[in-house]
Amino acid sequence: MITRKHIVTEPGGHRARRSLYWQYAVEPFFYLSPAIILIGAVMLMPLVIGISYSFQSIDLLRPFNTGWVGFENYTKLWSDRKFWLALENTFWWTFWSITLQFFLGLGLALLLNTQFYGKKLFQALVFLPWAVPTFLSALTWAWLFNPVIGPIPHWLAALGVLSEPYNILGDPDLALWGPITANVWFGVPFFAITLLAALQSIPGDMYEAAEIDGASAWQTFTKITLPFLAPMIAITVMLRTIWIANFADLIFVMTGGGPASSTQIVSSYIFTTAFRKLDFGYASAIAVALLGILMVYAVLLLVLRKKLVKV
Amino acid sequence: MRHLFKSIGLAATLMASSAYADTTLKLVEVITSPSRTETLQALVNDYEAANDGVTVEIISLPWGQAFEKLATMVAGGDVPDVVEMPDSWLALYAGSDQLASLEEHIAGWDHGDTLTQKTLDMARQSGDAYMIPYGFYLRAMFYNKKLLAEAGVEGPPATMAEFMEASKMVSALPGKSGYCLRGGPGGTNGWIMMAAVMNGTNEFFTEDGKSRLNEPGSVEGIQFLLDMYQNGYAPRDSVNWGFNEIVAGFYSGTCAFLDQDPDALIAISERMPAEDFAVIPMPTGPSGKAFPTIGFAGWSVFKSTEHENDAWNLVAALSTPDANATWSKHVGVIPIHEGADQDPHFQTEQFKGWFDELNGAQYEPTIMPTYLEQWGYFGSTMVIETAQEALLGQRSAQDLADEWAGFLTKEHAKWKAAQ
Repeated sequence: MITRKHIVTEPGGHRARRSLYWQYAVEPFFYLSPAIILIGAVMLMPLVIGISYSFQSIDLLRPFNTGWVGFENYTKLWSDRKFWLALENTFWWTFWSITLQFFLGLGLALLLNTQFYGKKLFQALVFLPWAVPTFLSALTWAWLFNPVIGPIPHWLAALGVLSEPYNILGDPDLALWGPITANVWFGVPFFAITLLAALQSIPGDMYEAAEIDGASAWQTFTKITLPFLAPMIAITVMLRTIWIANFADLIFVMTGGGPASSTQIVSSYIFTTAFRKLDFGYASAIAVALLGILMVYAVLLLVLRKKLVKV
Repeated sequence: MRHLFKSIGLAATLMASSAYADTTLKLVEVITSPSRTETLQALVNDYEAANDGVTVEIISLPWGQAFEKLATMVAGGDVPDVVEMPDSWLALYAGSDQLASLEEHIAGWDHGDTLTQKTLDMARQSGDAYMIPYGFYLRAMFYNKKLLAEAGVEGPPATMAEFMEASKMVSALPGKSGYCLRGGPGGTNGWIMMAAVMNGTNEFFTEDGKSRLNEPGSVEGIQFLLDMYQNGYAPRDSVNWGFNEIVAGFYSGTCAFLDQDPDALIAISERMPAEDFAVIPMPTGPSGKAFPTIGFAGWSVFKSTEHENDAWNLVAALSTPDANATWSKHVGVIPIHEGADQDPHFQTEQFKGWFDELNGAQYEPTIMPTYLEQWGYFGSTMVIETAQEALLGQRSAQDLADEWAGFLTKEHAKWKAAQ
């Protein structure tokens, strides 16, 4: 009793407890507060506002005529044929863009990691598309696919891929391949640069040891190169997937989502709903759906990365 | 310290008095290009030279974001004195009581008498004259003389049936097509025009507010364009063509007909010899009439301006016959004053088509119902998407017409209820 009383009333002990509280519960957040405020203001607030929009009716021309509508936008979304079509297109657009970009980028990185004559010039040329503004590359590719001015349809016809030189951007079955081609051209340098950097960080003695042990080229690649590249591959593929799934610039300039919505992806559908139909509530609901899908994807990939990367 | 205060005070007084003496007008242009701004600046320089003490500040908003930007400026209190006003926004700004009526100014203006009736009709669309149009974007038919001769077509078509026949004959030539169909961005005018010409009227709604777009005649008009495409009289990829593609399709000699505004003439005459093409009015339908769409833009004065007279003087200076001729030649529009067709620039075989259309009784220009709130969405997104589905054979003309008419009827009811 006396002891307890002693502890409670002893001024030093009281101060010690207070400083413990200060040290662990307040002080760290106090130092972090600029970052927390910044993140809250530029990321969380807009996110929360955006999500709240999806439960409202918002009309740009009458900004004060808003109101909460509950899950109305989401029920509408569930039965919206165009949304599901856009979702399917988003999948194919992202899948082919990322697959082709990745494998071509990996090939280029492996090539650039060797020594050959004129490497510097070649390297500069490979990285050039990354520096071209998307609007310009979309416009250029759109015209390259135009049989009146561009050569591609004539080449494809000469190779027997097309029955006659026509513009695939006008064919609903093939139109998505136009923006995908432009996207691959535009995005290969990104993979080439990042994978080349990762390749160059692999210690050379690993390869020397493998050579002494008599490993084949394939074994060296699968047992040394790939495991070392894996963390970089996982993170770049995840970032690029999210980016490409949201990336409507090329599609917008090259086909405008057409013909007949055959190249409409979810993010371009969000744009038309928000800025043409001026229906911000419904556009927000679509955006939230896309956000949810991408988050699930990101979590899956992060789990996968944890399992894969054992080095 | 006292010295400092004194000099600050003196400077402030000087600045205030000079601001009081000089007037600065803010002019916002919304359809811009560097060379266009240069032409506007030259006209404004003339105005400034003639009006001592008035300076004009030109603000150029890129067209893609102009709507939102101007709306934000106005809502935020940064209201310009004079603005370039496209037809599709006039109802919105005039309806919300933002614009000054120019009726009295026009009545007292030296050049008010020579404004054509059409100009005044367009200016008064929302009641009073809330703008002075600077010119018209009117549809007429370009045709390639060489291609028609090669295909054995005797003369340019005057009726829709002749138009279809001539397109068919041209399409028989290897690698050539009859019509530069605009299936992509901006294609709405084509569908509306064809529906109107076959239906024999360009009224959008019946008296009880029902859209006329799914009347049998209109459906026939929609079917006309579908036939054009599906029979191969238009290039296969024209389902996605916008302005640049149709114009390139015409000047490259891929297709023989193109219906466009005079602004297409700028690109075409740069690349095609004048003797190889000409412009005729739009072909007429079974009723003997044609309904080419007409668009316009002009200059408006905001009601909130503190210098209404100076602002009007600026609009008047931009709209004199001389200034308007310079402007319309550069921008590619039909000028607004009577007698403008006597200018040698407009007396070519190319411009004849437009002036014939403006003066002929069988041609009734069609103004789009831009007063409908969702018209922008209808024209720029809904029509394009659904029409492409029909062009590709995924749905019928009737189906298309019913969907469009249903949407417009609903929008019209909404508009009516708000009146």
